[in-house]
Amino acid sequence: MYLVNDIIAFLAANLILSQALGTSTLFVAADSRRKLVGTACCITIFTTIGSAAAYFINKLLPSEYKNFTLLLYVLTIGLLYIGLLSAVYFITPERFEKIRKYIHLSAFNCAVIGTLFTMEQKSANDPSLMKLGEYVKFGLEAGLGFITAALILTAAFRKLNSSKVPSSFRGGPAILIYLGIISMAVYSLK
Amino acid sequence: MNERRSRIFDGVLGDNAVLSGLMVISPVIICGNTVKNAEALIYAFSAITFLSVLISSFVPKKLPYTIKVIIYAIISSIVYMPVKTAAEKFYPDSITRIGIYFPLLAVNSLIILQSEARFFKMKKPRMIASLTFYIIGFDAVMLLTAFIRELLAYGTIRSKMADVNTLISGLGEPFGGFIFLGLMCGAYRKIRSMAKKEDNTGSDLNVSGK
Amino acid sequence: MLKKARKERLIWLDIMMTLMALALMSYFYYGVRSAVLCGICVAVSLVAEIVSLRLMGRHFKADDLTCTSDALILALMLPACMDYSIAVIASVFAVVVAKNVFGGRKNMIFSPAAAAYVFALTSWGSKLLMFPEPHNKLGVFEKPDTLTHSASYAFNISGKLDYTDFEVLLGNFSGPAGSVSILLLVISAVILIFRGDISAGAFLGSMVGTGLFAFIAPVGNSREDSLSYSLVTNMVLFASVYIIADKRIAPKREYFAIFYGLFAAVFAYTLVLTTAKENAIVMVSVLFTPIALGFKNLEKKISLAEEEERIKETEAAASDENTEEATVNE
Repeated sequence: MYLVNDIIAFLAANLILSQALGTSTLFVAADSRRKLVGTACCITIFTTIGSAAAYFINKLLPSEYKNFTLLLYVLTIGLLYIGLLSAVYFITPERFEKIRKYIHLSAFNCAVIGTLFTMEQKSANDPSLMKLGEYVKFGLEAGLGFITAALILTAAFRKLNSSKVPSSFRGGPAILIYLGIISMAVYSLK
Repeated sequence: MNERRSRIFDGVLGDNAVLSGLMVISPVIICGNTVKNAEALIYAFSAITFLSVLISSFVPKKLPYTIKVIIYAIISSIVYMPVKTAAEKFYPDSITRIGIYFPLLAVNSLIILQSEARFFKMKKPRMIASLTFYIIGFDAVMLLTAFIRELLAYGTIRSKMADVNTLISGLGEPFGGFIFLGLMCGAYRKIRSMAKKEDNTGSDLNVSGK
Repeated sequence: MLKKARKERLIWLDIMMTLMALALMSYFYYGVRSAVLCGICVAVSLVAEIVSLRLMGRHFKADDLTCTSDALILALMLPACMDYSIAVIASVFAVVVAKNVFGGRKNMIFSPAAAAYVFALTSWGSKLLMFPEPHNKLGVFEKPDTLTHSASYAFNISGKLDYTDFEVLLGNFSGPAGSVSILLLVISAVILIFRGDISAGAFLGSMVGTGLFAFIAPVGNSREDSLSYSLVTNMVLFASVYIIADKRIAPKREYFAIFYGLFAAVFAYTLVLTTAKENAIVMVSVLFTPIALGFKNLEKKISLAEEEERIKETEAAASDENTEEATVNE
């Protein structure tokens, strides 16, 4: 019974639907369904591992150096970016060319960095969240949220890019309005 | 010559970063609901983007793409620090409201992705001019969006009461931002295609006139 | 193609007739104001449709009159005393944002009325959920002295309804102008299903889903009350007929349509039960749009696979015949 409420809470906390984080990335990835799902999966890896690293940064960084948080997050994501590319290269060299573009698209964007900052803000407001497990859980949830948004978009993908849509609204603007209406429904049920 | 000039000005009308490229839209959707927020974001975006792209243009082009992207992000996050310190003095209230969207401006796609594809292919003076117009394009959209949304959602302009009978409070919410920006993008594309048609008709007439 | 267009018009006519009956009932309970509200919604939708089609470079055709039925559905979900300006904005939203931006009636994604209702709810929630009492007849510009919560609100909170079954059947309880006339709605549902104007699967799925869950996990203490009142409150019946079972939105195959209606209803009922969210089914119908679209995509894939199989079978049969002919000739 409470699963329904959990679904609503999950949708309400969705990075794209409630905070518009990673919307630009979603548009770049919205060229094709495969690209969309591939990017969403890569973003999940970045948000999950990135959140774990963010936990240590937030824990160890003295408060007078808070302005350095972004720089440290960027360095972490940068290392993760190189690490992930290298891992894919050595594990499946034949698929490297295919997967590479998803990793490039997923590394530096609002969805990943936004997740880290959102968690930082949450743990600052509620110290009980200042645990490695909570950070990783949030990172994973954020990534799954991106996948959910990608799936929501995938369902309407053909219709939003159809020739029946007026040319000025086809693609991007129609996607924005579609996401807006879905986000509105989630907001009304919150 | 005219074509070259129009390309430089593209960032404002012809190829607006937000309306045409759908870049940097998260802050516009979430924080673009009051003019005061918009002013703080405009300052932050303009300063961070201009300085970051300018400094990043000195990064050797021969480096691998991945390394270059990481360096661009590091540069912009270093530029972010003094910009934020200054913003805390000029816009103390807005900085709190903008929250996480302030640092996110440092990893915007205009710096990370588009600088490589667009700006660094140009010569320095041309790049600076083009970049300036792209920034002005973003600023204009941000201000216009914030003005209309604040007026219709809260019935105020820069927190001063305006005479609006029926307020649409939903426009101030994130979903209102999505829908409003979508409509603005559509209207922009329509106007642009109409202008292009007119241009083509004009040039056809000139050709026939010859 | 012509047959399809004619069928579309007939569907619109049938739906309009049932909606007009509901509008008439609302006029009977709330006076001329509710009729004017319906008229304004229809007129504004018509103008918005003509203007937006013109901007899209299309001409207004008789088929585009479907915007009027959407407008009437929206009007009947509003309180009779709703501000005209809000009704105008919601109607424009329904036609322009929820429909024509996506290509109009040929490429429907959302139910325009449901999307516009949710839009109105998020912007003017307090006005949308306060209603005049029935038989409180209002003039064109008149506002009622007192407004009350709807019967749905009372039911969601207490699990009881202080109305007789007769009153419930006739819609003699506070609520949206036209979506509470239960007897009329039942008749409309039967007519529309037999005329093939709405998706029978989605309607039945929605009804069964709500009914089943209302019985298994009742809102109040009594299972019977929960079962009967859950179907008539929160616009469940109205939304099941005109929104969930809308043929433009629901999956085409009845099998999928049943599941779509069932999922939406169970989801909405659970929200009513756990959070007392009023009229949750309308919001859920908007939220379930990607699921309806997913089902439709699946239907297309199945149709394609069936087509391919049929072609293969025909080809195989033809090649068999050829072989047989060749053997006979030999």
